[in-house]
Amino acid sequence: MRELRELAVRLLETSDVQVVIGWEESRRGVRPAFAQTPAEAERLVFDQRCVHNLAAYLHPRRKHIRGLGRPAVVVKGCDARAVAGLIRDNQLRREDVVLIGVRCPGVWAENKAEGQPGNRRWAERCVSCPQRTPTLCDYLIGEDSPEPSGGPGLEAQVERIQALPMAERWAFWSSAFERCVRCYACREICPLCFCERCLADKSMPQWIESSPHRRGNLAWHLARALHLAGRCVGCGECERACPAGIPLSILNARLQQSVRERFEFVVSDDPVAPSPIGEFRVDDGQEFIR
Amino acid sequence: MRVISDADLRGLAADLLAAGSTVWGPARVPGSPRPGVEYRPLREAAELDLGAGLPFLPLKQVFLPPTEPLFWWERKGTEVRLVPPAPPNRRVVVIGARPCDAAGADAMDRVMGWDYRDELWFARRDAATVVTVACERPADEACFCSDVGLGPSHPRGSDLLLIPHPGGYAVEEVTAKGRELVAAFPHRFREDEQVTPGETAAAGPPRIDLAGVQRWLADHFEDETWNEVALRCHGCGACASVCPACHCFDIVDEPDSLLAGTRRRNWDSCQTSRFTVHASGHNPREGQHARVRQRVVHKFQVFPRRFGRLLCTGCGRCTRACPAGQDLFEILTLVSERALETS
Repeated sequence: MRELRELAVRLLETSDVQVVIGWEESRRGVRPAFAQTPAEAERLVFDQRCVHNLAAYLHPRRKHIRGLGRPAVVVKGCDARAVAGLIRDNQLRREDVVLIGVRCPGVWAENKAEGQPGNRRWAERCVSCPQRTPTLCDYLIGEDSPEPSGGPGLEAQVERIQALPMAERWAFWSSAFERCVRCYACREICPLCFCERCLADKSMPQWIESSPHRRGNLAWHLARALHLAGRCVGCGECERACPAGIPLSILNARLQQSVRERFEFVVSDDPVAPSPIGEFRVDDGQEFIR
Repeated sequence: MRVISDADLRGLAADLLAAGSTVWGPARVPGSPRPGVEYRPLREAAELDLGAGLPFLPLKQVFLPPTEPLFWWERKGTEVRLVPPAPPNRRVVVIGARPCDAAGADAMDRVMGWDYRDELWFARRDAATVVTVACERPADEACFCSDVGLGPSHPRGSDLLLIPHPGGYAVEEVTAKGRELVAAFPHRFREDEQVTPGETAAAGPPRIDLAGVQRWLADHFEDETWNEVALRCHGCGACASVCPACHCFDIVDEPDSLLAGTRRRNWDSCQTSRFTVHASGHNPREGQHARVRQRVVHKFQVFPRRFGRLLCTGCGRCTRACPAGQDLFEILTLVSERALETS
């Protein structure tokens, strides 16, 4: 914690950084914080409760954050992958942000529902995390810690759903999507959903019906997932923000599996590796064209 | 005092289902990654789960579904035919509503019957009997009903108020609809002189000065406070989805063909940037600070000035749901303090 605070203070005092985006204590656990003075930087914390992906504050739709000036952001492994995604997709220039990497111990699953306190378990994505320590960073702080283990990992969840017969898998997703109220919290919090105008908000023509009925919800969730193929960093923010409790991480993880199998592409924090959706290769599989 | 046992309350749900009523109550959600219960239409009385705390989502969906058809239309030559939606079930009973949810629907009654009487809303309200279970204690530190003029056993918006005691509930008949429900199923209720009416959890003294908040909000439309509290907001609108009193909706036409279609209304939220975008492209609430401000000012100044009720019941759901740690009670405390400084 000392290391983080000293670095944040130094950045604010001596370099061209106007805000350090990190976490602070609140009366209900930790939450995103925007330290604009050395005194505010003394409040920054980092530990297993820091589940939020702060890269979401870096994309161009967050005009109120861009207005603060040049930011430094504290990034875990998954957060750094999101920053790389923004750079890869030309939404952020590397030199416009200072990245404070933390050796991530894994984070606890957040438990927002009332009456379920203390029941600490690792966030599913942290069990078998591909990269806890970012390589895309200007500073690297914190200490190595043992790999999070125990509890169901996300891969296991994907396998469980994949193993179901088609009809049961359909029933699982139908009942999940039925709960959707189309608030688009999943989209608004996604660090990679940076479109100024989302396909779902276009009404002439209305590509995707905005009503939260079966047809509209299915169209929305398929479009959302497909637009994140090869881009989703698996930070789980969409699922965490969803007021309806839809297990979006499972869908996202399955899609990234597909991208891995078909395009040999794994989302990493390398900002220059071309993504399947951003490049054209003549040897891409096309056996589905008949 | 009239009482109902745990078993008889479940029995009442079974009786109602057998009689063809729609019965809503807190129940587990299969397949949800979130533990706990939600208000759901029950298939059987055994699903009713009154011991699992506050549902994450509010009760408002019973009266204002996330999507509902306003009418179906068909064009034939120059004629347009409109077909109204099917009326709701004649009897809907909510068993196990929480006081904050019941009060939320009551606040929404004000606006739904204001300049235009919303027939769909009132058809559902009139058909429904709300049986509320008082809270024995605050669900967690996000709760602040006692700070907004309500409390863990406040009767507002309820037809029957059940106050827990060992093995069952003391029954307070709040409205005529509540009395009718008791009269229709007399075998489920009995008299017990040992049980006396009373508060469950004492409603503590309010920790915020609501009059001061209202005054400060009226005078500080432009204020640095809004920029400060809006920084962490992603504009995701989860707060509005889980609010028992937020009621904004969007109206859309969904054509089935060139000649027929459905006009529907869907939940909407003032926290997203597209909510106020004009056809010209101009957005009067351009920044996130303006949208966060709208949420607070509407609930604590504009709505109470017009309707004499807050548009917030202190349920704390927005605080629990916020993925960025926004805390409405904390904002109110801040405003309350600033009001004191400037008075």
